[in-house]
Amino acid sequence: MKLGKFGLRLSTAALALATYATGAQAADNQCVGKVPVIRVIAQPIPTIPFLDSLKGEFEKKWSTKVDIQQFGENERRAKSRLDASQGSGAYQVYYIDEANVAEYATGKWALPLLDLMPKAWDWDDFLEGRRAVATYQGVAYFAPFEGGGDVMMYRKDLLAAKGLQPPKNLDELKNVVAALNNPPGVYGWSARGRRGSGMNVWRWTPFFRGMGGQWFDGDKPTFNSDIAVKATQYYQSMLKFAPPGSATNTWSEVIEGFRGGQVALIVESDVFGPWAEDKTKSRVAGKVGYAPPPEPLPSAGFAHGFAISTKGNPTDCSKTVSADFVAWSTSKEMEGRKVKAGILSDFARKSTLENPDFTAQINPEYITALRDTAPKTELLIWKSPLWPEVGDNLGLQLEEVFAGSQPDIKQALDDAAEQASEAVKRAAGQ
Amino acid sequence: MHPPPNTAAPRSRFAMLALGPPLALLVLMSLPPTIGALLLAFRNLTLMSPTSRWVGFANFARMLTDHRLHNALQISLLWEVVTVAGSMVVAVLLGVLIFERVGGRARDLVCLALILPILLPRVSAGLIWRFMYSPLMGVVNYPVQLLGLPPVEYLSRPSTALYAVAVVDVWQWGLFFAVIVLKLLETLPASPLEAARLDHASTWGVHWFISLPMLRAPLITMIFIKAVESLRSFDLIYTMTNGGPGIATETLDLYAYQTGIGMSGRISYAAAMSVLLLILSTLAFSFLWKRSQRWSD
Repeated sequence: MKLGKFGLRLSTAALALATYATGAQAADNQCVGKVPVIRVIAQPIPTIPFLDSLKGEFEKKWSTKVDIQQFGENERRAKSRLDASQGSGAYQVYYIDEANVAEYATGKWALPLLDLMPKAWDWDDFLEGRRAVATYQGVAYFAPFEGGGDVMMYRKDLLAAKGLQPPKNLDELKNVVAALNNPPGVYGWSARGRRGSGMNVWRWTPFFRGMGGQWFDGDKPTFNSDIAVKATQYYQSMLKFAPPGSATNTWSEVIEGFRGGQVALIVESDVFGPWAEDKTKSRVAGKVGYAPPPEPLPSAGFAHGFAISTKGNPTDCSKTVSADFVAWSTSKEMEGRKVKAGILSDFARKSTLENPDFTAQINPEYITALRDTAPKTELLIWKSPLWPEVGDNLGLQLEEVFAGSQPDIKQALDDAAEQASEAVKRAAGQ
Repeated sequence: MHPPPNTAAPRSRFAMLALGPPLALLVLMSLPPTIGALLLAFRNLTLMSPTSRWVGFANFARMLTDHRLHNALQISLLWEVVTVAGSMVVAVLLGVLIFERVGGRARDLVCLALILPILLPRVSAGLIWRFMYSPLMGVVNYPVQLLGLPPVEYLSRPSTALYAVAVVDVWQWGLFFAVIVLKLLETLPASPLEAARLDHASTWGVHWFISLPMLRAPLITMIFIKAVESLRSFDLIYTMTNGGPGIATETLDLYAYQTGIGMSGRISYAAAMSVLLLILSTLAFSFLWKRSQRWSD
């Protein structure tokens, strides 16, 4: 049998590949059964229960039990921060988001990601915005599986019934929301009120930054400026059109109110677009319109993903297995499987946007809105390891304002700024 | 004639033998965290930094000007009063009512039903009630809306949030204590109560003047148990309001948690707060214990 030149080259390449693969597998095989358990701390977004349902595949490959523990966002942040900072190493894989990547990087609580990921995993396939959020000072720390920016979601049917157009600026937004507000059947608006850097502060920030606000001038906090007061006044005035209880609403209650048909218009993270279109859970599926947030609101960019714990992975095998879990759960194939399973909100890769299964299932209006919003999507929070403390203190003050226990907005922001100054001084002194 | 045998020494030995191991275990388990908290309270450790230094009484001095801490102390005190008083009032009223009105097998079934809430984990109870209080979907607001009134924001209003959470605490403990009160009433001798009835005392008069004074000692013990338990209501408050709205339901333990772990990561300042809570509660309970011994006599 003649192979010919091409055939010979092909055989040689195949042999080399096979040898590499066998070698790699041999190296990996040394760790099979060596790591009894991988503990993953997470929060319940659609990706997580989906991974939980598939984890048997991974467990079989490594003879390792995967224990995915889910907590609400604030609890997840508190629990993993405690684990990381105290070096207890109870978790091998952390769920990290934009608000704490600086903290985990500075504290060396998470390992630099790309040193441990296989090349085929393809970091360059992740959307630029997601990669930027996951990176601190040039080093990537987490593998994103969710992210995005903001989008305005509105009830097309209700606007049409009133002969209204989607609002293009903040004055129009207030007018449209006031016109749609018809309680107790439908409330015009809803927004996050519950304290937290990832809760009310997250939603308030585009108003603050869009009106021209800045977090700091050197070491001096400036989020108690006149602009910040104006932004807070506007935010508070909009809550008058929100369902009762909004002063302590989390994002979950905002979304449930909207997809339950009780709220007419929201500006929220774009991942919730597919939630509103989920016919099994949404009463407003097919009735929702999407547009970029009204001017001058920028779009709050974010990303969530998995990071590899430093203290939770003391051995090479533990690092290998944890890294492989992160690679497996954020791979192109996994994103494809999520799309096939109807999970359209959690994606982070460019290849997913080109996946015909994805484009076929997504409302074209939503895709247009995403495209139109992309140029003004950026990380709006203060990218500092001190952000969780500064943001959470600000969130508390804002909640007091929204709930009415602090009637003086300027005083509330001054208090938050004073606490931020103290935090900066304390950090500088340590 | 032989002198009576001295039983005090063997009894004392038995007490030492019986109490020694559990007391030693208790000391072993409680001393390390207490000493750890004390040591931390005099340093400036934060979760952000692996290093810390001795700062003397700086953390305690800071407490003097921390208005949030002062608020937390007030809330903790109010929480104690509301939940202890609420639980005891519900327990006594309900216990007496069942004792007077329900008998036989029905009484057993009622007791079983009253015990169920306490079996529910605090986090589950908190989540269930949070949903029940929901202004839009909650069953608590249903009658209000039937009357055409706007829904009440029980957990989002600073004026109602603490009491709304306290209702859940009383629902769990008040009903459970009602069963205990009932069982205590069943143990009382019937003759004093019958004598009072023959003298035409009203039902409430019989209990107010006769049976409840007879149960003074166990009732005081129940008050103590509930007071200690109310200091540990972190999980319920955390689940239902997370200390909000604002700081309207933020007790001292919740504030210490938010400061040390939840928000700021200021471990040492949180430890100083825990030490303060330990000192205050030890002083308060020692004082009350002494007074209660006088009340029991």
